[in-house]
Amino acid sequence: MSTPQRRRRGAERRPRFAIAVTALFFVLLYLPVGVVVLFSFNAQKSLTVLDGVSFRWYTALLHDEVLLDSLGMSLRVSLVAMAGSLVLGVALALGLVRSRSRLGSFAGLIMLVPLITPEIVTGVAAMLLFKGLGITLSTTTVMLAEITFSISYVTVILRSRIAALNPEVEEAAMDLGATRGQALRLVTLPALLPSILASAVLIFALVFDDFVLAYFTTGVDPQPLSVRIYSAIRFGVQPTINAVGTLMLAGSIGLILLALAIPRLFGRRGGLDLLSGK
Amino acid sequence: MATRSNRTGTALQPPQDPAEPKPPPRGPKDRTRPAPSPGTRARTRRPRLWTWLLLPGTLWMTGFLVASLLLVATLALGTTDPLGNPRFGFDFANLTALADPAYSTVLLRSLGYALITCLISLAVAYPVAYAIALCGGRFKNLLIAAIVVPFFANYLVRMYGWSVVLSDDGPLLKALRAIGLADDGTKILQTGAGVIAGLVYGFVVFMIIPLYAAMERMDTSLIEAGRDLYGGPLRTFLFVTVPATRQGAAAGCVLVFLPAMGDFVSAQLMGGPDQIMIGNLIQDKFFQGQNWPLGSALTMLLMAVLFLGMLGYLRRTRKDEAEAAR
Repeated sequence: MSTPQRRRRGAERRPRFAIAVTALFFVLLYLPVGVVVLFSFNAQKSLTVLDGVSFRWYTALLHDEVLLDSLGMSLRVSLVAMAGSLVLGVALALGLVRSRSRLGSFAGLIMLVPLITPEIVTGVAAMLLFKGLGITLSTTTVMLAEITFSISYVTVILRSRIAALNPEVEEAAMDLGATRGQALRLVTLPALLPSILASAVLIFALVFDDFVLAYFTTGVDPQPLSVRIYSAIRFGVQPTINAVGTLMLAGSIGLILLALAIPRLFGRRGGLDLLSGK
Repeated sequence: MATRSNRTGTALQPPQDPAEPKPPPRGPKDRTRPAPSPGTRARTRRPRLWTWLLLPGTLWMTGFLVASLLLVATLALGTTDPLGNPRFGFDFANLTALADPAYSTVLLRSLGYALITCLISLAVAYPVAYAIALCGGRFKNLLIAAIVVPFFANYLVRMYGWSVVLSDDGPLLKALRAIGLADDGTKILQTGAGVIAGLVYGFVVFMIIPLYAAMERMDTSLIEAGRDLYGGPLRTFLFVTVPATRQGAAAGCVLVFLPAMGDFVSAQLMGGPDQIMIGNLIQDKFFQGQNWPLGSALTMLLMAVLFLGMLGYLRRTRKDEAEAAR
């Protein structure tokens, strides 16, 4: 349709201004991340002068018991929050799409609350609830709060996916003798597996990096890694933070790439597409 | 999609169950299927299982989320006893305390910072979304991924890196000095500009993604039409692109404004004690001040402001939809 002449005219009209802004935006987007990574290898304590390459901040990290404890706690919290929110969220998403009871519209409404409430509000609220019930803030309270927060994400991700499933395949399984539960377990859940795994990875990354909710619901010791980083950068610059930050960055990027790769790993092979109706 | 799933649907059509009134074969969208008879359908087509599945999640969310938010609302009317312990009550002292100029200044500052953050994010996101959506070609997805990936880096680490970049002898001010745009006394950190820079860096992604989605959906022949009618680039952008993507922009503004209003990290790391936002006040009342009822009242104030903002957004989008339907 577009003649060569027209394409040439279009090329003349390339939005140079927009492209320049985009280039500058990318520079500024990556500069802070780059600074953290670069200075994590600095031989000196300075944050402005690079002075030789060393791994001293990484080795310092390995001997920092407090930080390692925090890392362990963050990993435990992320795993538990991932598992808990998946169980509750997958069930909720299935119910939201398939059930037409009045409970569904209520559930659909409160599920949106965490997404449109600033984290500081949910954080304050969770803290007050635990204190009001006389529960000492600890690793467990962080886990409970993070599960609550993550259910919404699982449900939002899976809802559209379930809506795209063809329910008649389930009905076919039942006509072949499966019960409703067996059809769910043997047909629907395997079809949803890629999306479930992808949201699992995403939840893990989000919870591991979460700060505000963890900050309000954590006890004294151990504290989640992000809370530990917060106190470190508030009270003086410590180059180990660059090393921690670099490792967290690498971990997050790895997880995001994994989440993106999962649907592809399952590919367009197998019976999955038949079920999804795609 | 509907036609394709229909194909699989007809191929897998289950045999008729004599006990069950079978509706005519339709697509997978069961909702649109007319009810054969209300009583039997509820039992046979929509088994209780789905409702049962709703229950644990709903109970959990009600117990932890709804209950805790109600607790904040109730405690906002509470008091503190002489020992500083929070007491429930029915007292409007906290709400009237909010009228204190010290608090209204902070609230107005937070509103101002969040609004400026929205405007700057719009100014940044429009060219970026435009350039990627219209000139990205086959690199579109890669470029968008490149924007999203740093967003998944830890928020605190990103903010910390940004504060290093903006620091008095950081790379940005050095570069600005080199080209003569700043002198030795120019500061970004410890000023309001630093706080806004932090907020923009933290949340601009939320503006770019919906705007990019809107630009992707936009009919680009409209832009060509604008050019054919001798509109300059700026006129075409203002009178064609902006109106066509304003829903994406509105969604982006909400997504940026919500977290920007509630943020307390940026004001802490980039601003000074005289740059605090309402989030810092709330944090202070709960951790240093130990005045939970007042902290709850401030939290409710924040929620009220955001609720009004959401209401405005919803009215706006509804008006847009009504216009589109006409």
